[in-house]
Amino acid sequence: MQLVVFVIASLMVLVGAVGVVLRRHPVHAALSLVLTLFGVAVHFVAQEAHFLAAVQVIVYAGAIVVLFLFVIMLLGVDSADDLRIERLPIQRPLAAVMGVGIVGLLIAAVVATRGSEPLQAGAGINVAGVGIDDAVAGHDANITQLAGNLFADYVFAFELTSVLLIVAVAGTVVLTRREKPPSEEDAP
Amino acid sequence: MSDFLRDYLTVVWFGLAALVLGSLLLGLAALVRPVKPNASKLIAYESGVDPVGIGWSQSQIRYYVFALLFVIFDVEAVFIFPWAASIERYGTFGLVVMLAFIVLLLDGLLYAWKRGLLRWV
Amino acid sequence: MIGLVAQVGDWPTPVVDWHALAPELVLIAGINLVLATDLLLEEGRKWATATLTGFVLLGAFVPVVTLAVIGGDVRALFDGRYVIDDFALILKALFLLTGYVVVLMSQTELEEGGYYQGEFYVLLLCSVLGMVMMTSSRDLVSVFIALELLSIPAYMLAAWRKRDRKSNEAGVKFYLLGVFASAVLLYGMSLLYGATGSTRFDEIAASLASGDLIGLQIVGITFVIAGFAFKVSAVPFHTWAPDTYEGAPTPVTAFLSVASKAAGFVALVLVIFTAFPTADGVYGPLVWVLAALTMTVGNVIALRQTNIVRMLAYSSVSQGGFILMPLAFVNSGDAAEPALKAVVVYLLVYGFTNLGAFAVVIAVARKTRSGAITSFGGLISYAPGLTVLMTLFLASLAGIPPLGGWIAKFNAFKAVLDAGSGSGYALAVVGAVNTAIAAAYYLRVMREMWMNDPPDGDRAPIVTPAPVATALGITAAGTVVLGIVPGLVLRFADLQDLTGALGG
Repeated sequence: MQLVVFVIASLMVLVGAVGVVLRRHPVHAALSLVLTLFGVAVHFVAQEAHFLAAVQVIVYAGAIVVLFLFVIMLLGVDSADDLRIERLPIQRPLAAVMGVGIVGLLIAAVVATRGSEPLQAGAGINVAGVGIDDAVAGHDANITQLAGNLFADYVFAFELTSVLLIVAVAGTVVLTRREKPPSEEDAP
Repeated sequence: MSDFLRDYLTVVWFGLAALVLGSLLLGLAALVRPVKPNASKLIAYESGVDPVGIGWSQSQIRYYVFALLFVIFDVEAVFIFPWAASIERYGTFGLVVMLAFIVLLLDGLLYAWKRGLLRWV
Repeated sequence: MIGLVAQVGDWPTPVVDWHALAPELVLIAGINLVLATDLLLEEGRKWATATLTGFVLLGAFVPVVTLAVIGGDVRALFDGRYVIDDFALILKALFLLTGYVVVLMSQTELEEGGYYQGEFYVLLLCSVLGMVMMTSSRDLVSVFIALELLSIPAYMLAAWRKRDRKSNEAGVKFYLLGVFASAVLLYGMSLLYGATGSTRFDEIAASLASGDLIGLQIVGITFVIAGFAFKVSAVPFHTWAPDTYEGAPTPVTAFLSVASKAAGFVALVLVIFTAFPTADGVYGPLVWVLAALTMTVGNVIALRQTNIVRMLAYSSVSQGGFILMPLAFVNSGDAAEPALKAVVVYLLVYGFTNLGAFAVVIAVARKTRSGAITSFGGLISYAPGLTVLMTLFLASLAGIPPLGGWIAKFNAFKAVLDAGSGSGYALAVVGAVNTAIAAAYYLRVMREMWMNDPPDGDRAPIVTPAPVATALGITAAGTVVLGIVPGLVLRFADLQDLTGALGG
């Protein structure tokens, strides 16, 4: 059963990812990304990290992709560049070689790693809630652990994400606000 | 299969039910209804107004602004959730940290508001 | 796992050393203050935000000084994930000072250009905050957040002249390649975390040292180094730099070429010295090739430039190669200590010198309205002060004694030679040849200034605004002082502090 879930989820991820690259229509590509993100969420569920799965769906599939769609619609779907024009003829074969090379490298690395030494178990988050006392175990186990990490070890990084979000707001103001003299605004 | 995964089986059943029900109803309708298409029947219905141009028109930047603000507060909610799940465990320190986080974000929101970002022109 | 169970049972409130975090806290408060002030100020009084930003940066400088004066033990926070040691302090000082100088340089330009001043300074402060955070981060998560915090505002600063095509191009290129680099970096980090089981640098180092490297670790290390190589614009990841430097407003270019680049080097130093010191079989050859390529390609292209900003851009690419040079030999022989000293000194000297060169460019371009190298012709006849300063900065960049650039290059070569290996000597030869090539294009600008006539015969004197003059003073003083008494900063580059605090 684990295997079945794994195969289905992986298929979702891979089909979605290939779709993002191959679909001509950018909106369809963005929707393929949703499939990938859902597949990752299913993987999280299979690893018993259900809070992460929920976050994956809410933030990525729910919000980020919507943002992508708005940007695509903002740019205008029909005004997309014609990708058949190539500036540098060697670029595309080179990209293909690099891509295949990196995939080969990763596969080789994974295969070589398999036999040599068991990977260290992550000391970060014990998603299954194994060995946690009953007071906090159960369905809250991995939320509790996440929060424990977030508010202790990573608390400073966490605080600074809010500054990062302020940057986003300030940046949006700059990028979207009209220029001061409205007369110059008309020129596109 | 773990209990955990079995919980999610409900989701699968639910999805399957939706799929079956939808295709069943549409399929039935397709079987029984008469099909006599003509040109004016096939155009997209826009409340009786003839559609102009294509559906994929350029949208305005203000949609993007709201989507971005939505993402920001979505992320905030994700951070608040684990804290709220067992609030007393993190005590005063957790409260201070969370308040600082929220105040910083509110500052950003206030700024966006004052700059007229929230006004739907 | 035992520690984890205890941690979940009763949650220990982390102990926060407020004094150690004070520089960052001052900056966070300052960001909000500038944001609020900008809302309240009338259109004509926006210059006040610049002054305020300057005070915020100087305010953040105070705790850095007090921390350095008190000295004593290394302060480690959050289980060793955030560390304040001498290395962190001296670079925090550099970033705050760079931020201050950039504020001085941009003040007049922004006022005259009618740009959004408040937002500019807010984003600049956010970027500086990211850099200040980077110096203390000893953990993959903190490093990544710091990197994003310093990069994302920089993307927007590069595109600040919204109606200017080149500026837009600068921003977009920088953004796309920067985001791509972040993705590569993040991928490498996730592999490292998976293969070592920790995000803390010391634990990663321990895990990597515990046995032979496995495939995933090698790929992870490679990707992390490649990700940071984009940030420091090392060849072949440098393609964004010249276009971005040329299109961005000049003060922003100065900021990018000094602070943003230095932050990338800080991250590289941190990962190489504290996270994978024993993996020199992986990063050694990688950094060697990057350093040699970066110096050579940067220099050769710089020779052919006719635009002063583009020339400085390629020159800064090639200077990056010299900073990379010692990093290839961190684990061979006794080279670790000199390597750290060399990088820190080089970053400081390069920071002052390059900022100064850009300040001169800004001052001159205010009159000539041109970026061509020929527009510097006959500068000596109408702006002798600026000419002398520019000569000073260029000579320092070329590595002529007794200026800072000489000490920096001397240390870098010494570190490479201390490694005592064949590859070390080879890299030193490459570096020496490049030093000679670099001198050629620095001298060309000097000759233009001292020997030639002004291209348009206009000999009206240049009025340097007070803030730019102050910036010139600070950077010139730094360039000269570091050249004469480098011992001033050398004590901050203590290897024992950097690795010792984490080894335990």
